[in-house]
Amino acid sequence: MNIRKLAWKNLFRRKSRAVFTGLGIFLGIGTFVAIASLTVQMEQAVQDKLDRYGANILITPRTEQLSLGFGDIALGGTQVAHSRLTTADEKAIRGIEMKERLRSVVPFFLTAADASGKNLVWMGMPASEIATARPWWKITVAPFGEKGEVVLGSEAAAVLDKGPGGTVTSKGKTFRVAGVLHPTGEKEDGMVIASIGEVQSLAGNFRGVTFFEVAALCKDCPVEDIVAQIGDALPGARVSAIRQVVESRKAAVDQFRRLGLGVSAIVLAIGGLMVFVTVMGSVQERTKEIGVLRAVGFRRRAILSLLFWETGWVSLLSSVSGAFIGVAAAMLAAPLFGVEKAEAAFSPALLGVAIGMALGLLGTVPPARRAAALSPTEAIRSL
Amino acid sequence: MDPFIRLENVSMLYGNNGVSAAALRGVSLSIDAGEYAVITGESGAGKSTLLTILGGLQVPSSGTVLMKGVDLSSLSADRLADFRRETIGFIFQAYHLLPYLTARENVMVPMSPARSSPREKAERADALICSVGLSGKEERLPSELSGGECQRVAIARALVHDPSVLLADEPTGNLDSATGEQILDLFSRLHKAGKTVLMVTHNRANLLRATRSIRLRDGLVAEDDPLMATYQAQ
Repeated sequence: MNIRKLAWKNLFRRKSRAVFTGLGIFLGIGTFVAIASLTVQMEQAVQDKLDRYGANILITPRTEQLSLGFGDIALGGTQVAHSRLTTADEKAIRGIEMKERLRSVVPFFLTAADASGKNLVWMGMPASEIATARPWWKITVAPFGEKGEVVLGSEAAAVLDKGPGGTVTSKGKTFRVAGVLHPTGEKEDGMVIASIGEVQSLAGNFRGVTFFEVAALCKDCPVEDIVAQIGDALPGARVSAIRQVVESRKAAVDQFRRLGLGVSAIVLAIGGLMVFVTVMGSVQERTKEIGVLRAVGFRRRAILSLLFWETGWVSLLSSVSGAFIGVAAAMLAAPLFGVEKAEAAFSPALLGVAIGMALGLLGTVPPARRAAALSPTEAIRSL
Repeated sequence: MDPFIRLENVSMLYGNNGVSAAALRGVSLSIDAGEYAVITGESGAGKSTLLTILGGLQVPSSGTVLMKGVDLSSLSADRLADFRRETIGFIFQAYHLLPYLTARENVMVPMSPARSSPREKAERADALICSVGLSGKEERLPSELSGGECQRVAIARALVHDPSVLLADEPTGNLDSATGEQILDLFSRLHKAGKTVLMVTHNRANLLRATRSIRLRDGLVAEDDPLMATYQAQ
């Protein structure tokens, strides 16, 4: 017989009380682990979606504003590029130290050119990168191919009065209209979009690139480091993180985390309160027994130890079972929250067990201290 | 030689909301080692209060309690617990066994905080259960034992640390007369084995086995007859 066995035996004697005490922790930890696991999975899913959403780094030629005037007469200004970007720069971008973080590097080329008699902006990009660089585009019929095809922005289609299956001519070359872009609210609505090679050919600039869009995988978001490395690789270019995108990613993830932590904190507080109330009730109920133990020579520390062992057993069992159920519940619920690939998240489960133990033991502190302070005469008086 | 227990002008007041009642009023006593003293008196005379003060379960409102030369009121709560465990064995009228533990486990309870091996503890408990005549009933729960058997288990529990003094509060109060006699026989045996025994009782028949009778009335020692042994011998 030792304190641990005494605690264990007492738990078995008061099964319903032990179950009730454990229920608070079980529900609290189950909810916490379920929400935390779900949050982890949702964070990952949101991250994946945001990463898929588009670029977060923009690379343009470095420019300077040049003011033009004659005497006191201001003639406005113009931007002067220090150097131009070319398709060869893609290799330099993909060669940076953190290249494994680069999900896509997409070159764009813009030029103003004739389109069936109208002067429109042509935008060239690799046909194979449409899904990666512009996943939100909706194109009626089909996107353009590598050669001889264009997609018209919704406004450009209206100006040219062309639709899928029609043709657009420019500089003696005829392009088939493969599709029309649904309105996006962006400048591309007024553009003719084609393969970058075709647009470079129209402009007579066969290696020219107006800008690169880089999508970096943003887990832990080392975007600033990636920006610095690309800047080093392309000294003549201006490399900037699209901060808004990065910030919105962080904000979305943080919002999920805050919601999860808030709900968990409430449930855990209720669980802790249940432990406190049931252990306090147990101490009240066992005043005589505690008095007898003190009378036969138990030190206060031994009484504390007895109650902590009792709650410790309950907390451990209920935390572990709560964590197990929480993980299972999170996996089952994950598809309902837009998580495509549900995976068991063990770190919230381990954290849950630790919190459950801490909660149980902390909830025991006030009643255990009260029990330890009980005078042995309480038992004698109850004779 | 100093007495084993000495009480000097011990008073005990219980109070509530400014109203206090004296359970003991200036009791002075000396009890030598090896005595078998019976404390008698009417209900409310202060018997149980005296026993709890002697056992260090509560501190008197005034006065001094010395046991084996140690002033009990000078000890901290934990040191007092250690002193009780090492020096005093308590036996209660209602046994106060833990109902979810077997007889053996109940006897082992005072040894729970100790670091000795479970086997050693069990062997010690079994030896004591055997000594109180309950051999073969080690695995029984209190609910499976008679009142007399429960009291024997409680006595075995009180003896587990081989205390110098046994304090018993109405140990036969819940038992029929035949079973009560058996328990008193057990106390006599323990006394003959060298234990100091202090027993609170209503039953004057218990006096026959004691060496001393202390009668309380209204919180004061009304009679103190140290010649019981002579009386008993006659």
